[in-house]
Amino acid sequence: MMEPAELIARLRRRDPEALAGMVREHARPLYRAARGMGFREDDAEDLAQEVLTTFLETLDRFEGRSQIRTWLFGILHYKVCERRRQLYLEELNDPIDAAFESRFDPQGRWRAPYDLERAVESSQIGQAIGKCLEELPPAQREVFVLREMEELETPEICKILGVTVTNMGVLLHRARNRLRECLESRGWKGTS
Amino acid sequence: MIRCKEVAALLNSEALAGAGFRKRLEVRLHLAMCRQCRSFARQIERLRAAVRSLGASLAGEAERKDLEARLLRKLSGE
Repeated sequence: MMEPAELIARLRRRDPEALAGMVREHARPLYRAARGMGFREDDAEDLAQEVLTTFLETLDRFEGRSQIRTWLFGILHYKVCERRRQLYLEELNDPIDAAFESRFDPQGRWRAPYDLERAVESSQIGQAIGKCLEELPPAQREVFVLREMEELETPEICKILGVTVTNMGVLLHRARNRLRECLESRGWKGTS
Repeated sequence: MIRCKEVAALLNSEALAGAGFRKRLEVRLHLAMCRQCRSFARQIERLRAAVRSLGASLAGEAERKDLEARLLRKLSGE
């Protein structure tokens, strides 16, 4: 594994081995994350390519202060926003918060815990969660995918999305509760 | 005394890492005594496992399409 400084120098020269290494390490995660965020196969592939191309074209701007991975996912985030032509504005009030509250009694004890047993026992939970991800607002979906699918660190995600740790916590809290609601209702009815 | 609702919110938002020792201890004690909150904590793991399984199938999708080879060709051709 090359040191970042050396890798950047080689990428500047378009060294074939460095390029191949970069693709091997980052292409699939970028593609997977784009798919996880809701893009179709062709669009996800285009996005992965655009991110890597942009990275190569702007190597001078990458000063090595972040990990390359963080930088690449930052570019992905930017391009996703561009394509959607919207900022990720998280609502001050999300209906999921009230739904969550209603599961507790006034003293804060569980009244109606989430029941995911049927859903998680299903062999199709990967498919079920794919469908449930589609119901997440974009910012919640992106945080959840970056954290849980791509396993990025909290500070990385905050940098990529331009949010505080607290904001990120709210997004994860809402995302997880929405997924629970969705899986609970599908688990009961079957995963189709 | 910490209640289930606060424990659930702390677990969901991953705020424990930044919380003080006392809060973390309260949560740990609560979890030891509360089956429903333990179940809630397990659900977080299950959601994670589910989306990772989805991630694995998406990686398989990329492999079947020969994504890496194609991208490398396009990038090298510039």
